[in-house]
Order: sequence, then C-alpha cells, then structure tokens
Amino acid sequence: MSDIVALAVQQTLNGVYLGCLYVMVALGLTLIYGVLNQINFAHADFVTVGAFTAFFAATRFATKVLGMPDAAAYLFSIVAAFGMGALLGLLINAAVFAPLRERGDELRPLIATIGVSVLLENAQLALFGPVPYQFDSPFARETIRIGRIFFTGQSVLVIAVSAASIGALYAFMRFTFLGKALRAVAQDRETAGLMGINPGLLIGLTIVIASALAGMAGALLGPVLVLSPFAGASVIVKAFAIVIIGGFGNMQGTIIAGILVGIIEAFTVQYLGSGLIDLVVFVLLLAMLVVRPTGLIAEHKEENV
Amino acid sequence: MTRRWIYLALAILVITALPWLVTSSYWRGILVICAMNVLLALALNLVIGYTGQLNLGQSAFFAIGAYVSTILMKTYGWNFWLAAFAAVVAAGFLGLALAAFAVRLRGHYLAIASLGFAVITYQVLINWDSVTEGVRGIYGILPPVGNTVALFYVVAGIAILVYFVLDNLVHSPVGDTLRAIREDEISAASLGVNGAIWKAFAFGLGAGIAGLAGCFYPGFVGTLVPDAFNIVESFTMMAMVIVGGMGTMIGPVIGAIVLTILPEFLRGFGELRLMIYGLALTLVVLFLPGGIASCFKRPG
Amino acid sequence: MLQATGLTKSFGGVRAVHGLSLAVPEKSIFALIGPNGAGKSTTLNLLSGVYQPNAGSLSFEGRDLVGMPSYRRVRLGLARTFQKIRLFKQLTLLENVLAGFHIRQDTPFWKYLAFGDTGRFRDEARELLDLVGLGAHAKERAGALPYGQQRMLEIARALATRPKLFMLDEPAAGLNGAEVEVLLNILRETARRGVTLLVVEHNMDLVMNVAERVFVMDHGVPLFEGTPREVQANPAVIEAYLGGEFAA
Repeated sequence: MSDIVALAVQQTLNGVYLGCLYVMVALGLTLIYGVLNQINFAHADFVTVGAFTAFFAATRFATKVLGMPDAAAYLFSIVAAFGMGALLGLLINAAVFAPLRERGDELRPLIATIGVSVLLENAQLALFGPVPYQFDSPFARETIRIGRIFFTGQSVLVIAVSAASIGALYAFMRFTFLGKALRAVAQDRETAGLMGINPGLLIGLTIVIASALAGMAGALLGPVLVLSPFAGASVIVKAFAIVIIGGFGNMQGTIIAGILVGIIEAFTVQYLGSGLIDLVVFVLLLAMLVVRPTGLIAEHKEENV
Repeated sequence: MTRRWIYLALAILVITALPWLVTSSYWRGILVICAMNVLLALALNLVIGYTGQLNLGQSAFFAIGAYVSTILMKTYGWNFWLAAFAAVVAAGFLGLALAAFAVRLRGHYLAIASLGFAVITYQVLINWDSVTEGVRGIYGILPPVGNTVALFYVVAGIAILVYFVLDNLVHSPVGDTLRAIREDEISAASLGVNGAIWKAFAFGLGAGIAGLAGCFYPGFVGTLVPDAFNIVESFTMMAMVIVGGMGTMIGPVIGAIVLTILPEFLRGFGELRLMIYGLALTLVVLFLPGGIASCFKRPG
Repeated sequence: MLQATGLTKSFGGVRAVHGLSLAVPEKSIFALIGPNGAGKSTTLNLLSGVYQPNAGSLSFEGRDLVGMPSYRRVRLGLARTFQKIRLFKQLTLLENVLAGFHIRQDTPFWKYLAFGDTGRFRDEARELLDLVGLGAHAKERAGALPYGQQRMLEIARALATRPKLFMLDEPAAGLNGAEVEVLLNILRETARRGVTLLVVEHNMDLVMNVAERVFVMDHGVPLFEGTPREVQANPAVIEAYLGGEFAA
C-alpha cells in the first residue's frame, strides 16, 4: 500500500471514529429538535456531565469500591453515564421544558436552556474545579494493526457502540409503537394528541433518550476531550454545526454530517494543524447556512403567507 | 419630557457620588466593570430586544474592540481615543457582516450562525498570533486615564450618553420600525420596511457599542488574552438583558448591575456563586419573563 | 393601473398560478374570486411581491414590478392586508398604525438621535383608528383585540401608507354579519377617497355589493371577467363553484 493511500485510509478511519463521537452528541440534539422544535443549548453540558459521571464511576467507584478490572469498569461507566444523562434529561424536562411548553414562544425555551447550560457549567466548576481531569480508557492502550493501518481498541469500541445505538434507535423509531407515536408527534403534535397519544409523555421520553445518548457520548468522549466543566462549550457549536449541516430533525442527515465533520477534522489536523480545526468547521457551517440553511437533505419550504 | 431630564440628572448625580461612597479599590474596579457591562447589555438589547434578532455573537465585537484598539496603541503608537474610534468602526463593520446572515436566517438558525461567528472570531484571535499574540497575550496595557475613579467616570459617562441616544432612538419612528421587524417581518415589509437595511443598522450599532466597551477592558485589566472573549461571554450578556428585562431601556441596565454585583456578595459561597447567572436566567425565563423591569411597569 | 400578463408561479412542481393576465383599472373596486385552491392568495402574493413569478410580466402605473421586493412596492403605492392576520401583537393599536407611516417619515436621522420623536403622525394615526371604529382602544395591546377588530386594525395600518392601490386578502373571513357591514362601509369610504381597491374574497355578499368588476379564477387560471351581474349568470363560474359556496 503506498504511503499516501495508507495515510488517507488512516485519517479516514480516525475521522469515522471522531465522527461517531460527534454523531452520538448531535443525534440527541436533532431528536429534540425534531419533536420539540427547540434547540437545547444545555445539550453539550449533558455530555460533560456524562463524561464526569463516567470518570468517577470508572476510577473511583467501579475499581475501588466494586473491585472491577479496568476494562469492565470503563464499560460500566458508559452505562452509568447513560443513566445519568437520562436522569438529567428527566429533571430538565420536568423543571424547564414542560412548564414552557404551552406558551408557544420560540425564544423563551431557548433562553431557558441557555440558563440551564450556564447553571450546569458553573455547578460543575464548583464541584470539580477548573483544572482538567485525565480520563484514560483502558481500551485506548490496545492497538490493533491491519497492514499499515492502526486502530485502538477504543476506536473499535466507539464505532461499535455508536453503530449499535443508532441501530437500536432506528429500530425503535421504525418498528415499535412508541417509536411511531414519537414520529407522529414530531410531524403534527395536535393531531397526534387527538389520536390518543399523549404528546407530553412522548416529548419527555424523547428528551430522556436524547439526554441519555448525550451522557453516553460523554463517557465515550471522555478520553478524547479535555475534561473540564467547560468541555461542553468546545463541543456544542460543533454539534450544532452538524445538526444544521445534516438538517434539523433529520436523523440520517445528522449521521452523515457527523461522520463528514469527523473526517474533515481528521484531515485538517493532519494537514493544517489542530489549532485550525474549529475555524475550518465553523467556516463550513457558516457557508452551509448561507447556501443551504435547511441542510444537506431537507427540502426547501417557501413560507406560507 | 421633563421627567426624562430629571432621571438623567439623578443618574449623573448617583454616578458622580458613587466613587465617594465606595472607597475600596476592589469595589471601584467592580464599578468600572459594571459600567462596561451596562454598555454591553444595552448593545445586545438593541439587537435582540428591539429588533428581535437572536444574536449570540456579541462577544466577538467586544473582542474586536479590545484587540483593535490595543494593537493600534501598542504596535502603532496610536493615541487611545483615535484607536478606540477605529476599533468601534471595525466592530461596526464586523456587525454588518453578521447582519448579512441575519437577513437570510431566522430564529434558531441565526442564533447558531451568530454563535459560530463568535467562535470563528475567537479562533482567529487565538491563531493569528503574529498580530494578536494569541494565547500568549498582550501585556502592560495602560488605561486611557490614570486612576480607577477617573476611568469609572469616563466609562459611566459614555454609558449615560449611549443610553440617552438609544432612548431617543427607540422612542422615535426608528424604534417603531425596529419593533415592526421584531414582531413580524413580512408584515413590516408590507408597510414598506426594508428589513435588510434596518437589521444591518441594528447589528452595526450594537456591534459598535460592544466594541466601544471593549476598548476600555484591556486598559482596565492590564493584559489581554483571547480567553476573556470566549462564547460564554455572549451567554452572560444575554443573561443580563433577559434578567433585567428585554425590550425595555432600563432593563439591560438593571440586569447588568444586578448580575455584576450579586456574584460579589455571594463570594462566601465560593465557586457556586457563578451559578447565579444560570439560575437567575432560568428562573426569570420561567417565572418572570419580562425581567426585573417588568416589576416596575405601570399596568395597561 | 396594475397590469399583469401571463403570470406563472410554481411551488416544487405544483403549478399554483398559470398564464394569469389581469388589468385593474384606476379608481375602481376590483374583486378577485374563485373556489378554494384557485390560487387567489398566490396571485395576491405575486402582485404584492411576497412571491416572485416564475414567468410573466407585472407592472404598476407603467413601472415594472418583476424582481422588485415587496417593501419597495409599498413606496409606489401598493398596500395589502393578509388572509392570516399579521399584526404586531405585542404593540398597542396606536403603535401598529404608527408603524404604517414608515415610508412617509422624512425626518433626518440625526434628529432622532438627539431629540427623539416629534410625534408628527400621531393625529393622523388616531384619525385612521377612528375611521375603523377603534379610536377608543388606541392604547390597548393589539393581541388582545377580538378577531374582527384585529382585521379592522390591519386595514387602518395599511391605509397609513397612503396607498394608491389597496389589496385585501379575504378581509371578510371570520367576520360576522355586523362586522361585514362595517367592513363594507370602510371599503366604500376608502374608495371614495380615491383609492383603488383589489379585494380577494370568498364572501359573495361583499363582492356583489361593492365590486365594480369581478375576475374569476379556478385552478390557477383565469375563468371569466365581468360585472358582478355577468359573473353571477355565467355558467362556467356556477359550475366551478358547484358545492354551494356561490349561494353563501
């Protein structure tokens, strides 16, 4: 295999790995938008909370208290983060989203989520301090080699978990009653309500699922991120970029966009240096907003007057 | 009409008196920050409160004001006031650039675009270190006037002037036009309002004012690093506007003062005190949507 | 006064309006009618500039309108109201009408910065509110008004722009009998003051009582044009309206 091809394949693989992480974060965002027509600015902070939960679950609880081996502890932490995300989603929905639901205002829920985001960040700052934590995953230490391409165990794990999650989510939406009900609510809340579906319950369910995904993403992202209370800030705008590029509320678009951004980032790091990643991604985002604000796949609707 | 002049006189009185009542140098510094935050909140309120554009990119203009003025002074030896003027103009132009997005985008899209805009600006400041010194920072920046009290008078004075001008503006047909755009742009167009031009105006003016505030920041702190301008600043500004009362003139002033001073009183709680921003914002949105200002509004 | 030739507008493959030509004579009351889905609102949107046509030409008093955005058309003297009422709900009635004076403001900018509002148009705004019977509610929030009165407010606001051609999109929709009477009087008074009216309507009473010329369209194409009597008697029109709307 020639050098350039090997490098390209390696970077693409790294990109897919990174992309899967982003997709996990962005999927929750797009789910919430699809059902609620709202953007949750606090979403990335759920990711951070998930990461911290995973960190403490793995390093303090699982290994020290339960005496689990490192690898199992990490897997345990992923589950713990998933659960914590779900819990957080439940709380935020009950305290913030549900009360504001009836008003029909676009602005207030958005700002409320900004408030929650700032709240979470500062709460974590108070609890954990500003110094970043080092979250090592035991899977990151194992390297697998196929020809000239290297993977780490971590990347395999992430890709596997992401694929499994996406598959489970897809199956849920497509084949279960709840999933179909959810899609109904996303399309037309009032009519769905008239058909005996309880929109409030389903919206709550969506938020819980989305937040659980975010939490889990945090556990998976932990080893890659600089784990501080402000880790959310670095991820959130990228997550938004992906959701916009893929099209708000559009799951397939988000997945494609996420992987794409991951690959772009991998190649940018290789050729332009890591400092410029954010710049490249956001310039892309702005360009996207100008050219096709509705996303890669969504259709164009002329406003009905 | 005369009531306004009375309020103005009162405000001037209070501001003149404050540094005599507040004698610790730490708290005098807080006063300066207060005045700066008032400017920032007024600027954001113009764009989001009166024109209804969800702008989360104000931190970029604050940064531009700080960096352009500082670089002109330190590298090219410009006089502070000239440098500040140039910085405000630069920030204003950048605001026009963001307005170009506002013309095509609405609501959530604009919020995210403006956020992306702020991040790009932040990244440029970090990466273009041949000009900005990036994360290394610029040191030894002198304020335009010798001591903190004088600085406070200057910034507060500017804040009063800006308030006065904006107050006139929003109570004039210009204000009617901006509010029309905020309420329903298509409807406004059916009345002859050119949405694009007026949005550009609002964004440009809002950016310029934020840039003006930015000019005083580096001198006050003494050093200039990009981290002071990351996007969290945009959220903090928004909190001030919303908590104070969006869409009123006095609201942003109240919000800026309350959210600058309150955390200081909570120092006993350690880092938890910063939660006041998020808490105040969330609680206000849930229970007091008109902000603190709405408590004083006459009904009807 | 207003001349449209061969207007066509499609939305992603669906042809809403096709080959539409009409001419609105000056100082007349012109009605545009048709069954549901005929393309009436689309036509109005094309005329007012909310949509741009895919094909065809459009001119007002000799000025070409194609490509001109809606806000510019207002300066030429075209005003309109919307089928779905688009008021500034959070503003007061007076503020709503004042917003309508936008194109007539000619005070230099710096005067506002220094001195604020001179209140030039306040009196005229109040007059317009009185015209539509809302003078007493000037300081109330527009969103609090009952539906029929919101419609009247919209008309008052549009009239503030001093239009030469005033286009209304289903103004009688949702109004009860008494309110329709008030509407008719306002329209007649407006026409008396020299404004040309173009009314898109469903309500036959309104059309028959006020219009001088009626243009009927169906499925996006013109069907018939004539006086109200002629339209009522025309078999093609009757057939298009089969379903009883004609009798309403």
